[in-house]
Amino acid sequence: MDATSAPHRIPAEMPQYGEANNIFDLMQSMLEQLLIHQPEDPIPFMIEHLHRDNDHVPKIIILGPPASGKTTIAMWLCKHLNTNLLTKGSLIRKESSSLATEAQKLYQRFKKVPDMLLIQLVQERLSEVELRQEGEGWILDGIPETREQGLMMQTLGLAPKHVIILNAPDSVLIERNLGKRIDPVTREIYHTTFDWPQESEVQNRLVQPEGISEMETAQKLLEYHRSIIRVLPAYSKVLKAISADQPCVDVFYQALTHVQTSHRSNAPFTPRVVLFGPMGSGKRLQAALLAQKYGLVHVCFGQLLKETVQGQSRLGELIQSFFEKEMPVPDNIVMKVLKQRLSQPDCLQRGWVLHGFPRDLDQAQMLASMGYSPNRVFFLNVPLDSILERLTLRRVDPVTGERYHLMYKPPPTLEIQARLLQNPKDSEEWVKLKTDLFYRNSVELEQFYKQAITLNGDQDPYTVFEYLESGIINPLPKKVL
Amino acid sequence: MATYTYTSRPRALPCQRRRYRDSLLQPEEEPVRYGNIMYDRRVIRGNTYALQTGLLPGQPDPVELQRKQQAKKKALAKKRAQEQLKPRTPEPVEGRKHVDVQTELYLEEIADRVIEVDMECQTDAFLDRPPTPLFIPARTNKDVATEILEGELFDFDLEVKPMLEVLVGKTIEQSLLEVMEEEELANLQASQCAYEEMRNVELAEVQRLEEQKRRHEEEKERRKRQQWEIVHKQNETSQKIAACAFAQRYLADLLPSVFSSLRDSGYFYDPIKRDIELGFLPWLMNEVEKTIDYSLVGRTVLDMLIREVVEKRLNSYERKEGSPPSKWEEELEIPERKRDSTINYLTQEPSTLQAQKRLSDTEYLRAPSIDRGPPTQERKPVEEEFQGPDDDAEMRRSLDTEDPTGASEL
Repeated sequence: MDATSAPHRIPAEMPQYGEANNIFDLMQSMLEQLLIHQPEDPIPFMIEHLHRDNDHVPKIIILGPPASGKTTIAMWLCKHLNTNLLTKGSLIRKESSSLATEAQKLYQRFKKVPDMLLIQLVQERLSEVELRQEGEGWILDGIPETREQGLMMQTLGLAPKHVIILNAPDSVLIERNLGKRIDPVTREIYHTTFDWPQESEVQNRLVQPEGISEMETAQKLLEYHRSIIRVLPAYSKVLKAISADQPCVDVFYQALTHVQTSHRSNAPFTPRVVLFGPMGSGKRLQAALLAQKYGLVHVCFGQLLKETVQGQSRLGELIQSFFEKEMPVPDNIVMKVLKQRLSQPDCLQRGWVLHGFPRDLDQAQMLASMGYSPNRVFFLNVPLDSILERLTLRRVDPVTGERYHLMYKPPPTLEIQARLLQNPKDSEEWVKLKTDLFYRNSVELEQFYKQAITLNGDQDPYTVFEYLESGIINPLPKKVL
Repeated sequence: MATYTYTSRPRALPCQRRRYRDSLLQPEEEPVRYGNIMYDRRVIRGNTYALQTGLLPGQPDPVELQRKQQAKKKALAKKRAQEQLKPRTPEPVEGRKHVDVQTELYLEEIADRVIEVDMECQTDAFLDRPPTPLFIPARTNKDVATEILEGELFDFDLEVKPMLEVLVGKTIEQSLLEVMEEEELANLQASQCAYEEMRNVELAEVQRLEEQKRRHEEEKERRKRQQWEIVHKQNETSQKIAACAFAQRYLADLLPSVFSSLRDSGYFYDPIKRDIELGFLPWLMNEVEKTIDYSLVGRTVLDMLIREVVEKRLNSYERKEGSPPSKWEEELEIPERKRDSTINYLTQEPSTLQAQKRLSDTEYLRAPSIDRGPPTQERKPVEEEFQGPDDDAEMRRSLDTEDPTGASEL
């Protein structure tokens, strides 16, 4: 066995680096592009692809019946995400392309552009966009119209990341289309009821576009329903249907949230989860569930310290002295203990879920400086009443050792109930003290961990567990201001 | 009686008469003392008829006289003080007397009487001034000679011996000293050389040792650096290997993931399905359309035939209506039914043809007024029946259009 295949201690920075820079997704997209384009010189192609670095740009298709507001939504998304908008009209009207002039002639004669030509135009424009600017992306408005166009796009390798389809009942659409007006100068679409422009000069020059009468709209809707049902199955994985029967702003925000969620990537991911929450919020339970289901290492901080004390090492004796004096253990000892545990191979390989640490901003910064930054942080919010209810009603039977809860798991007989004892650490004053302490530090911690997910911990454990799971499995949402 | 004596040192007389030719270098003339008449004290200024209080310039001023006398006294006192301070020869010791002695080069006889001799001479006119003869005072001494015969004074050989001894001894001593000095010098030199040699040798030794030390240091440094490089390289190699292993593990799932994502996005498609969708189904649709068209055409032709037949029959019946009507009534019942059926066929016509034709046919049907009652009722269900198949045809068409989607989704 030579040195290349022996089991290696992979330093922890490597997986973190891989995660932080999304190396798996990068390689995946690069390989996809290689397969699609199949250049003769792969290495310069790959270098250029990496230079361009536009894996995270928006690639959106917006489909919908006429008068559903596609163009409006497309233009708003375009402005918001700072990207390029392609509509059939804009593609045909492009000046510097022979394909466009051809398409224009055909459109003027037959009122219809052949599919092949349209898709070639799209491809031309998109390749231009890619070469020209980095980080721009594209939004296609109303293309593909038919399954043939969709298939052609797929064969050329132009795959969108998100597809939005706007649905609305036909009657609404027909009515809405009657009020459509176009500004001939800016080509913006206004509506007599829903979107009337402010400036009077714009109002004066608005024209009625052709083809908005009821009959024509009905005809177009018929054609649309016929073709769209065949286009949709191709994009089932990235599709989101939004009802266009609501106000424009709502539609826009739904579209925006969908566009900003990235899909689950296939990158290998070792979760390093930290759970924050006041005492009694269920951190230990959730951590145990997570460890059981995903095979993570459950690191409960209090328990870790007690284990070190039992281990009777030098550190253990130091900690013991602090325990006896009932003082909180100082940070540097705590760091040593934690480092010891987290740098063990099982933690590195399987990932860990930690709770009970860090307690305040300094500890959080020390954790980050050690190199063990968590990649998922959860805050479990539970109101004080629930906490008190959960904790102050805990009892222990001294004879059998069974643990009871006066509300959730009451003791079976009165005799047992009579002899139940309460842990002094479950008393109301103690609980209130600890909760105050937690909330004092939680503000800073929330600011420090900007990617933290806040959950409502007041529900039953399995619901909370599901929220946690979705938080861990789905990629972190990108926050675009 | 005091005789007048006057002594003066010899000096050149300020004689205006020039004896010799003007020397080539003319002495500078003394600047003519001239004064400004305005400031001349002898010139009386102001009014001359006023009292002349002041003295004439020729006569000394009494104030000034006094001042001058005081000044003189002061000067004398000063001179006396200075004379006292002047260093003089000390007073002679008791029993001795100082005697003045002449120390010049040539002694001079000093006598009370000054010998004066008048001499006259005459120079040649305009001669060059001869060079000043050296002043050699006249001899005032007498020559005296003496004679010493041999053997009178001293015996040379005896006298010379100690002197010679001393002389020679001194010389030899001197020379010995000199030689000794030289030897000493030579010794010093030699010892210095020896010392220099030793020093050089030691210096060389020191340098050698220093060299050695430096080489050792260098060697040590080099070895350390080598070692460090080796360790560093090992570290790097192990890191690279770890990175390689990590990358392999991390990207182990890459290819399957890429292929599955491309399949999801539709880039990889089943060619057979695609071929069916793009090639076979349109052809199928075309064929179905053709078949439907055929059946439609067939039906239209049939309708036309029936129409012609019914027209002919109607014409023949209308002609026969001119003949006795009684016979006809019996036959009417039967042919009524037949006519009903023909009229039914007639009603079939408009529904199979387009809507425009339908209107004209109903107009045409309204002509036979007898049959308006029942046939109208019968017309409707027949029409409905026929619209049924029409709708069926339409539905079938739309179903056909949807079928390929069903087929492609398989």
